[in-house]
Amino acid sequence: MLKLSKMLSLLLISSVVLAACGGKNENEGTNSGGNTDAKVQLTAWAWNVNVGALNSAMELYKKDHPNVELKVEDIGRLDVYDKLSTGLAAGGAGLPDIVLVEDDRIQGYLEAFPKGFLNLSEKGFDSKADSFPAFKNELASKDGKFFAFPFDAGPTGMFYRTDIFEQAGVSVDTIETWDDFIAAGKTIKEKTGAQAVPIDKFKDDALFRMMLNQLGVYYFDKDGNIDFNNPKAVQAMDTIKALGDADLVKDVNGWDGTVSATIDGSVATVPFGAWYYGTIIDQAKDTSGKWGVFPLPAFEKGGNRAANLGGSSWMIPSATKHADAAYAFAEYFATTNEVQEIAMDKHGLFPSLQTTYDSELFQGDVAFFGGQKIWKLFSEEMKDIPTPYYTKDYALALDEATKAQADTFNGKNPADALKESAKRLADRTKRQANNG
Amino acid sequence: MMKTFKIRSFFVYFTLLIGAVISLFPFYWAAIAATNESGKVFAKPPVLVPGVKLFDNIANLNEAIGIGRVMFNSLFVVIIYTTLSLAICTMAGYAFAKFRFKGRDLLFGMFLMSMMVPYHALVIPLFKMMAAWGWLDTYLALILPNLAYPFAIFLMRQNMLAVPDAMMEAGRIDGVSEWGLFTRIILPSVKPALAATAIFLFMYQWNSFLWPLIAVQTKEMYTLPIALSSLFGLSRIDYGQVMAGVTLATGPIIIFFLLLQRHFISGMLGSAVKG
Repeated sequence: MLKLSKMLSLLLISSVVLAACGGKNENEGTNSGGNTDAKVQLTAWAWNVNVGALNSAMELYKKDHPNVELKVEDIGRLDVYDKLSTGLAAGGAGLPDIVLVEDDRIQGYLEAFPKGFLNLSEKGFDSKADSFPAFKNELASKDGKFFAFPFDAGPTGMFYRTDIFEQAGVSVDTIETWDDFIAAGKTIKEKTGAQAVPIDKFKDDALFRMMLNQLGVYYFDKDGNIDFNNPKAVQAMDTIKALGDADLVKDVNGWDGTVSATIDGSVATVPFGAWYYGTIIDQAKDTSGKWGVFPLPAFEKGGNRAANLGGSSWMIPSATKHADAAYAFAEYFATTNEVQEIAMDKHGLFPSLQTTYDSELFQGDVAFFGGQKIWKLFSEEMKDIPTPYYTKDYALALDEATKAQADTFNGKNPADALKESAKRLADRTKRQANNG
Repeated sequence: MMKTFKIRSFFVYFTLLIGAVISLFPFYWAAIAATNESGKVFAKPPVLVPGVKLFDNIANLNEAIGIGRVMFNSLFVVIIYTTLSLAICTMAGYAFAKFRFKGRDLLFGMFLMSMMVPYHALVIPLFKMMAAWGWLDTYLALILPNLAYPFAIFLMRQNMLAVPDAMMEAGRIDGVSEWGLFTRIILPSVKPALAATAIFLFMYQWNSFLWPLIAVQTKEMYTLPIALSSLFGLSRIDYGQVMAGVTLATGPIIIFFLLLQRHFISGMLGSAVKG
């Protein structure tokens, strides 16, 4: 009997506690952003280092706007999308005033939820467009209207181990084209045993995407047609195959495998976006001074060496109750040099705001990279980066491109592998495939 | 005779030992990684001895997610959920197993069918409901929606079916009340199932990710899995910090299992002997 009364009282207690926890006050934050004197509480969703960047920016912003408060929720990168999609599908319930979205997802959201986000052009963002590189503007807008504030970018480079190159007697100045790179890779492998690049052969195609972008093509063309059969796409896959045939590719398992290969020196170069700097200095502390960066090799002498991988932008869900205040702060964040320099300096986020590139930060030496001016190198790339077209079917295209790469490494002719992938992608997305 | 027994038990224990090492190694490795600095998780050969960074990692973790608050949220939610849900599911299972009422089998069938609906299909309607009621970001939203858990009801019903009606009839003849039948005859005979269901519900709620992620709006309400997931950015991950968090997160499950395992195992033996 004792047991029964115990159980009952436990039940009672817990239901009382439950009742006490409910009924949270939902009345806060009904002020509109229009009245500048009223207190405004903005909320934002972001992940990782971006949270710090937002908070630093708010500290500066508050000097002139003491009435604005910002609460940033630190949410895992992929978790943001789960929450955002649910909120949008539920008609905007529970969404924040500002949310960080990666560039490769912006178009997908705009297509799926055409009314979900604030049209920034209507608020006057068009006048700021000149401050950003063309590709970034194109990624942040739909039908000529801005829906996102361009933020960080990932200009690409070959992160390389200077000690391994020295040991092999190879100078990066001699590497202009991918053919030069393969030749250099062979020498390095012979002399030091290190392979040229890490690739997750069967699960990720990051290098292929960088090459596509570099060549001015992508999974899709400007009109949203599948572009896997573009001769340039085939050329990129041929180059990856050539790297594989020369036994210069270290097959790595996912992100962790790539980082692992970076640290243990089993590869001489890692092609990635500028943000990989942060990973290297965090995880490979012992290798300080042994790193350098050179641009992606071109496909022919004098060809384009600029490309981008990654990057994100801020969006304002149209369900916000503080559209004006959110816009004002986000615009301040996106277009203020000081904010972007802090984001870069303290949080390793490479800005796309071009007016920052003249600052000392971008022109200075980087000790971890043996005093090389790596930020200057990356910033000079930005203006030459072609626009990659992601569309809302980006995830499916990524899946098919990865299959094409896997088939290539399994011995299939790259052109055939891409052709088959293009056909499957056309079936899955009901899109046209060029040259199909 | 004795000798073959010894040899046999040697092999049994040896195999079990290998199994134990294989299944325990990841926990060991996570705990070791929690005491080393981030880059060490990539070391070759793997680092297998404790490092000196444990307190740094825990301090970093605390700064990033606020361990106390998050741990409280998780424990609070899981304890209340497990208690309430176990009570509800046990009683529902009892009703389905031992009471005859109109539409019982239909109702039970509907419950079983609800197990087949993928959870993702329920999330958006559920979210809309919670938003309409102003329950987003409250403990109510974390605890209430899954209280009547079909699988737990199913588990309890099946176990109660095995209790002979004759036992209850004997109880009735002796003048035991209906409530007494439930608490003094049925519950004691399904003790192992109760323990199993409790462990199941505890683990389900402790590891629950998608719903809490969506229902919770502010950092102050994060449960452990949500907070740990927030440590993953695109390229900058402090693995030492993550591993410290993961190690902390496995603690309560292990403790809860150890607390209940006596009932769990004695129940299995008991039912085997009863025959």
